[in-house]
Amino acid sequence: MIQFYYAYQPIIDFFLLSVGFGYSQQIALRAGVFSIATAGFAALGSYCVAILATKTGVPIFLTVILGTALAAAVGGLLALPLARLRGAFQAIATLAFVQIILSLLLYGEGFTGGALGIVGIPREVNTWILLIVVGLTMYVMWNIGRSGMGRVFNALRQEESVASSLGVNIGKYHIIAFIISGAVGGLFGGLQSLYTFQIEPHNYGFAFIVNVLTVVILGGRTTLLGPIMGALIMAILPEIARPLAEYRQAVNGVILILVITFLPNGVGDEIVFWFRRRKQARQQQQRASEKEARDAVS
Amino acid sequence: MLSQQILNGLVSGSVYALFSLGFTLIFGVQKLLNFAHGATFMAGAFIAYYCTISGLPFLLAIGFSMLATGLIAILIDLIAFRTLRNRGNAEFPALVSSIGVDLILVSIAQQVSKTQVLNFPFGTFPIKFYDLFGLRISLLQIVILAVVAVLVAALIFYLRKTTFGRQVRAVATNERAAALLGVNAQSVYLQTFFIAGALAGLAGVLIGLLFNSIQFLMGEPYMLRAFVVVVIGGLGSVQGAIVASLLLGVTQSLAVAYLPSGLTDAIIFGLLFLVLLVRPNGLFGDINAVAGGTRQ
Repeated sequence: MIQFYYAYQPIIDFFLLSVGFGYSQQIALRAGVFSIATAGFAALGSYCVAILATKTGVPIFLTVILGTALAAAVGGLLALPLARLRGAFQAIATLAFVQIILSLLLYGEGFTGGALGIVGIPREVNTWILLIVVGLTMYVMWNIGRSGMGRVFNALRQEESVASSLGVNIGKYHIIAFIISGAVGGLFGGLQSLYTFQIEPHNYGFAFIVNVLTVVILGGRTTLLGPIMGALIMAILPEIARPLAEYRQAVNGVILILVITFLPNGVGDEIVFWFRRRKQARQQQQRASEKEARDAVS
Repeated sequence: MLSQQILNGLVSGSVYALFSLGFTLIFGVQKLLNFAHGATFMAGAFIAYYCTISGLPFLLAIGFSMLATGLIAILIDLIAFRTLRNRGNAEFPALVSSIGVDLILVSIAQQVSKTQVLNFPFGTFPIKFYDLFGLRISLLQIVILAVVAVLVAALIFYLRKTTFGRQVRAVATNERAAALLGVNAQSVYLQTFFIAGALAGLAGVLIGLLFNSIQFLMGEPYMLRAFVVVVIGGLGSVQGAIVASLLLGVTQSLAVAYLPSGLTDAIIFGLLFLVLLVRPNGLFGDINAVAGGTRQ
């Protein structure tokens, strides 16, 4: 077990970070928001942590909390102008948001280090911390999913007008979804900067957006298992497909097309749905046999 | 100096127009974002480059590359969009699958070019400069402006005056009604994709010539610019896209010349954000095509 851990530690850490970003992306999609702003949130979180940790004496723990809070606040603010937009327009607006963040990071050289980024961030995060934070995030997501909020998100995703006719305040729940997405994205962005000890703006560019989307699409957009399965595939795939290493992006592309075409719910969601269906079928069977037994007695 | 910047801006803006027209055409007809458009653009430059160095005359190389990118775009429609479109509610899935196509094309280009920056051989296009009312304008710039003007006029004529164009507009308005009236929607989709691909390919060649550099990631910044153009011009509006492209080109060259360089992107995308806030349908967009609630 320990040997396995040492051999594959970078992959495991990569997997855990991907899961975290995946949840940030998933919560937005789950509420029916086509946001691809997770890259921007992650950039905010990681830069906040990196700047505070390298330039001030703020305790590391506090920097992560501040980074999370900053990204959450920006997420909430971002939701306000986006309230009028839907679908493709939302996707474009969030893409613009990410671009604005990136160009500001490039521009503010004195503060953010420009294109070179920030180096020498204390390396305070290891696998165990990542594991604990991912666990906590999952716990929060699990509770959101089971609560009324999760049901509201599901309703908003499936049919917004119906949700609205049932008295759901759409704007409010979109803001909440953005705040959660921002907080989770900022949190894992901060952890990432404390893990890789150097960050630069282009870490959070188009490739980041695509990777996060891939995790959620492969895994699934509604269940807790989704981002885990997605991140697992993304972490293991390069190991399996070593001979195709040069064409890794192409392989990712093919997988994206195949999954979205033939398995639109994603691998993780399909697994969960399969178990749910089986459970329902079994319950039905049980009910039927009980009824049969009762009929036989009477 | 100012007018020189404006001229340069108009030239790059007209190439943006060429690129964004296809993008906005696809969105107007299908209501889907084609993220692989940037890769099609890049493929156009690549194909023209490899045709030129293998000895084909340059004009023939351009024609061949437009044909090839048109076919690539048709392939994109068949592979990435058709199944999803038939299933309905394809907005998000199509975005994802077109990103998949983008990854594939970019990866192939990376391998083909071995991650190097390619240049058209010297003398592919004659380098000549003219003085026009005190402005310095190169032959290439004149050709670009002329080509774009002709193509844009042709496209507008095609959409407004021909039967094919009327079919395209009918499908864009209501696919079901158009199909009931005997319009073959699938062929309209293929046509729009072919046109979009060919225009993107040409734009790729022109940009490759203008900056004399071709590399596998060249599509990405233009893709992002195209978003700005189509949002400001109104998604799906051809005239809007043209005006917005020229506006963007001029804004960009002025921002580069007179403002701190790093801020250009922030300004452009801030502009996009502002337009989305104030007029989500764009400056020339169809008021009936609601930016909110397009989902059914």
